[in-house]
Amino acid sequence: MSLRLQPVQVATGSNDAESQLVFEDGFLVAVLVHLSDEHEGDAGKWYLEAGFGRVDSPDPPKFADLNEAQAWINQRLS
Amino acid sequence: MLPPAGRVKATLVSASSSDLIPLVRKLESITQLTGEERQALESLPAAIRLMQPRQDIVRDKDRPEHCCLVLSGWTYRYKLLSEGKRQILSFHPPGDLPDLQSLHLHVMDHNLATLTACRLAFIPHEAFRDLTNRFPGLGAALWRDTLVDAAIFREWMTGIGRRTAFGRIAHLFCEMYLKLHSVGLATSHRCELPFTQVDIGDALGLSNVHVNRVLQEMRGKGLITLQGSRLVIVDWGALSEAGEFDPTYLHLRAGETA
Repeated sequence: MSLRLQPVQVATGSNDAESQLVFEDGFLVAVLVHLSDEHEGDAGKWYLEAGFGRVDSPDPPKFADLNEAQAWINQRLS
Repeated sequence: MLPPAGRVKATLVSASSSDLIPLVRKLESITQLTGEERQALESLPAAIRLMQPRQDIVRDKDRPEHCCLVLSGWTYRYKLLSEGKRQILSFHPPGDLPDLQSLHLHVMDHNLATLTACRLAFIPHEAFRDLTNRFPGLGAALWRDTLVDAAIFREWMTGIGRRTAFGRIAHLFCEMYLKLHSVGLATSHRCELPFTQVDIGDALGLSNVHVNRVLQEMRGKGLITLQGSRLVIVDWGALSEAGEFDPTYLHLRAGETA
C-alpha cells in the first residue's frame, strides 16, 4: 500500500508545528507531528497526532522516523 | 496474605501506637471522631512494611486478608489491558486505605501498587470487623470514606469523558493538593506530587506528549511551577476555574478548602 506525505504546519498550541499529512489513495488517514525539543527524550520523534478510521488509536504511538511511522500505518490499514 | 517477600523487597516491623495516626487524620478530614474511636483506631494491630517504588501490593484476582494503610509515600490503583496498556484508576497519599473494599469484596478486581517508596501498614480484616462491631461510628466513618471514594470516581469519569486535557490536569492538581492539605501534608498551595508525565497520562487518558504540552502551557500562563515533583499552584483561582474544580465531591469537613 502506498502512502503519500504532505508537509504541513499544525497549530498544536505548543512548539510542535512541523508535521506531515498522510494520505492513502487520496484519503487523509493520519497527521504526524515532529516533536520539538521541549519533549526531551522524545524530541525528534514523530507522534501520531491524529489517526482516522483504522489508524485511530487511544494510545497514540511515537516513531523514531517517518519510515517507521509509515510501516505502522500500513500495518493498521492492511 | 501479606505480599510475598519474593514479590517485593520489604521489611516487616510491628506497628507502634503512633504509627496509625495518618488513618485518624484521614477519617477526621471527612467526619468527626470521638476520643474513644481515635484510640481504637490507633490500637489496631498492624504489620508495617517498607516497600520499594513501582511494586505491586495486591494484584487483580488476589484474595487479601489485610487492608493496606498508606503511612508514607504514594500508591495507585490500576488495571492492565492488552499490549501492556495501563489505566491508573486513582492515586493514594498517606492516610488512605486504597483496598478497604477487600474487607467485603473478597477478590481483587484491579491492582494496587506503590508509586514511590512507601511505608505501609497491613491491618487484618478480622481486626477491622471487630473494630466496626465495637464502634458503629467507625463503621459509618469507613462507609463514608468508601462513598467519597466513589464520588471521586464519578468526578474522574466526568473529566476523562468531557474535560479537555488542560481541564483534566488542572482538576487533578487541585484535587491532589486539597487531599494532601486535608491531612496536613500540604499548605500554601505547595505540595509534592511524585507523578511522571506517563503516570498523569495513564490516569487521565492522555498521551505523555499532551501532558507535556499542557504542563508547558500551565507554566507559560503562570498557573503553576513544577520542579521535579514539587508543585506550586501559583494561581489557584485560575487553575481551579480551568479544571471546573468544585471540591464538594471530596466531602471534606468545613474549613478544609483552599
